[in-house]
This record gives sequence, structure tokens and C-alpha cells, in this order.
Amino acid sequence: MYLLKRAAVVVGGIFVGANLLNYFVLGHAGDYLPGGERMGEWKAAKIREACYPALESIERDGQLPKLSTDRHRVAWRDLTRTQEMTAALNCYLVTHPNAICERNNRAYIVDFINRYFATFDEMLDIAKRYGDAEISTVRNLWDSPRNRAINAALIRDASSGRLIKADFGWSMPTAMKSMLDQYKGTSDNCPKA
Amino acid sequence: MGEVLSLIRAPAIAFFGGFLVVGGWIWAPQISSYLPGFSSGVSSAGSGGSWFADSNRLGRPETAPVVRTCIFRVIDLGSDARKIEPSAGYFILKAGSLSATVTSQFGKPNARAENQSAFMAGKWGELAGCIYAQDDRELCDPDSRAAMVEATTKFFAFAKQAQASNPPISAGDARVLENIGDRLLNALKNHRRYGTLAPSDFGAFVPSEITRVMREETQTRDICKR
Repeated sequence: MYLLKRAAVVVGGIFVGANLLNYFVLGHAGDYLPGGERMGEWKAAKIREACYPALESIERDGQLPKLSTDRHRVAWRDLTRTQEMTAALNCYLVTHPNAICERNNRAYIVDFINRYFATFDEMLDIAKRYGDAEISTVRNLWDSPRNRAINAALIRDASSGRLIKADFGWSMPTAMKSMLDQYKGTSDNCPKA
Repeated sequence: MGEVLSLIRAPAIAFFGGFLVVGGWIWAPQISSYLPGFSSGVSSAGSGGSWFADSNRLGRPETAPVVRTCIFRVIDLGSDARKIEPSAGYFILKAGSLSATVTSQFGKPNARAENQSAFMAGKWGELAGCIYAQDDRELCDPDSRAAMVEATTKFFAFAKQAQASNPPISAGDARVLENIGDRLLNALKNHRRYGTLAPSDFGAFVPSEITRVMREETQTRDICKR
């Protein structure tokens, strides 16, 4: 009994530790999204590969986020990350508007939406250290034509039931919460297979 | 009671160890913002920022306004410089430093590796010189102060590495580094007096030249106070 208890605690520790590593270190937050009929396996999402070309020529896309001033505190890695995430999410939601109807794609896209808003929040938090001008620089950066198209697509998907609150589980971005609350109960208008 | 303790001891230690590893990884960026020595880049040549500095005193060197002004005077990217963000230029300089450090620490001793140390010392010295040449109050900005600390520390660390090299660097190169070092130490003294720099801004493993200046000089005024 003693050994059994000890083994149970060790196995439990390994289970918890492995999950912590998976979530926080490997960043596989998609593994912890709600399951069910609507949500599939994010790793099997075909949309990810389909959108690789959108990330190949980011510098040539004039509609992606750009800094509006030279006097800013945005590090180039954050700038690059913003552009890449915007290009990718634009492809998932705007270029391929029906991709979200497929359950594997939906799981992947929901996870990506979480990361997209988390990156914005993170950059805004850094900007707050530098005052209003920097906050406005970051807000302008995230207000490119592509970002606006993404916002419009998110509203459209929420209003048509393609994205619902339950898809996000406990990890819902604040920006999405009010939008999804507003269209609560809307039925999914995805084309039936 | 003892039995229960012995039952949970090993898993508790394992869990605590795991928590430190996982937590360290997750919260490293936040922790590093409080420990700017890490945020300003770790290299064996020393990044310079202190673990114990007030977190409001040292910011992110790569986004410092003084780096924006100075970086492309130090690294020559030709016409591409206009397309590149200054923070990316700073990253290029740091990546070069890392490469020089790795070569000098793990590579076979040769003239090329030592030239690389002298070269990097020259580059960091140039950057530090340019930063010190800006308006003194510019350095009240935490990001600019962090850049100043990092550039100065890296210069002295690479200069020491180059001077201790085998085969030795040329007398001409040694003289150039010595001159840059003298100029930087003078500037450092002034900024110590002005209060733009405090001993706590530098790390524990900072080159002795800097420690000496920080110890011997005292603050006479605070130009950052409004």
C-alpha cells in the first residue's frame, strides 16, 4: 500500500509536470482547448500549411502592420511577430473564410486567435511603460488594413455562429468576450458537408 | 507523521524542482526584465547590467533612443540600413559579440579569433563613445542607460580578452583600445558624478576598471531630477 501510494504521487507529479511543460514550455495551448463536435485536433489542421505562402513575402505586403513613426520603442522582433501573426490570421479568416468550419482548422484557428490577442496585450503592456504616445504607436501598428479585415472577419464569424464562446473554453481573449456574448445562441451557418 | 512526510518528500522535491525549471522558463522574460543583466544579453564577455539594479533604472537597450542615433554609425549595412530597424542592428552587433566570444572561448587560439575580440571591442567602444557623446540627460532614460551600461561593459570585457590573447594583438590595435578605454572611463566618471549611473547599475562580474570608477567617484548632483 505504501509503495502504491508513493507510485501514485510520483505518477501524478509526472502527469502534472508533463502537462505544465506541454502548455507553457512547448506552447501547445491548443491541446487544452475544449473538445467535442465542433473542435478537432489542432495539429491536423490543413489550413496551417495552406497558408504558408502568405508568410513568404511579408515585406511585399503593404497592408500589413507598419510603424507610423520613427520615434517608438517597439523592438524589431515584436514588429516581425506582429506582421507574421497578422498575415497568418488574415489568411486563416479572410482569404479562406470557410476554413473555420472544419473542426481541425477551427481548433487551430481558435488557438491562434488566443495567441494573436495575447501578443497585442503583451506589446501594449510594454508600451504603457513609455506613456501615451507609445501606446498610440502600438495601437496604430495593430490597426493596419489587414488587422481591420481580421476584426471584421471575427465579427462575421461570431455573428454567424462559426465561432462561439464554448470554442475558447477558459482561455478567451478579453477582446473576443463581449463580441461572443453579443451573438450568444446564434446557430452555425457553415455549409453542411 | 514521519511516514507521511517520507512519503511526500521525494515527490515534493521533484515537483519543486520541476516547478523551478518550468516556472523559470515561463517567467524568464518577466524575471529578466527585473534582472537586466540577462535582458541585455548574456555572453561570457559579460552583459553588464546588474541583477540588483533598480528595475526602473535599466530598461531594454535595443529600443533605446541613443541606439537609434548611434547603431548605424557602428555597423555599416550600406543602403540596407534605411530598411532595417535600429533594434535589429543592435541585435546584429550582439550576435557578432556572441560569435566572437564563442570563438575565443572554444576555438583554437589563433590570430583571427583574437582579431575578432579586438574588432568587437572596437565596435562596442565606438557605440559607447557615441552614446556618451549625446546629451547627458538622454542617459536618464532607462533604455538608454541600459545601452550605455551594456556597451561600456562589453567594450572593457572584449578589450581585456583581446589584450590577454595569444598571439598578442598588434601594438597599434592595443593603443587604439587603450585610447577608447581612457575616453570611456572619463565619461563614466562624469556620469557617476551626475547621477546618471550608479554602482548598482553594473553587475557583479563587471570589469575592474568600471568597478574602480564606480567606487572611487561619488555622486555630486542628480541631473535626472526634475
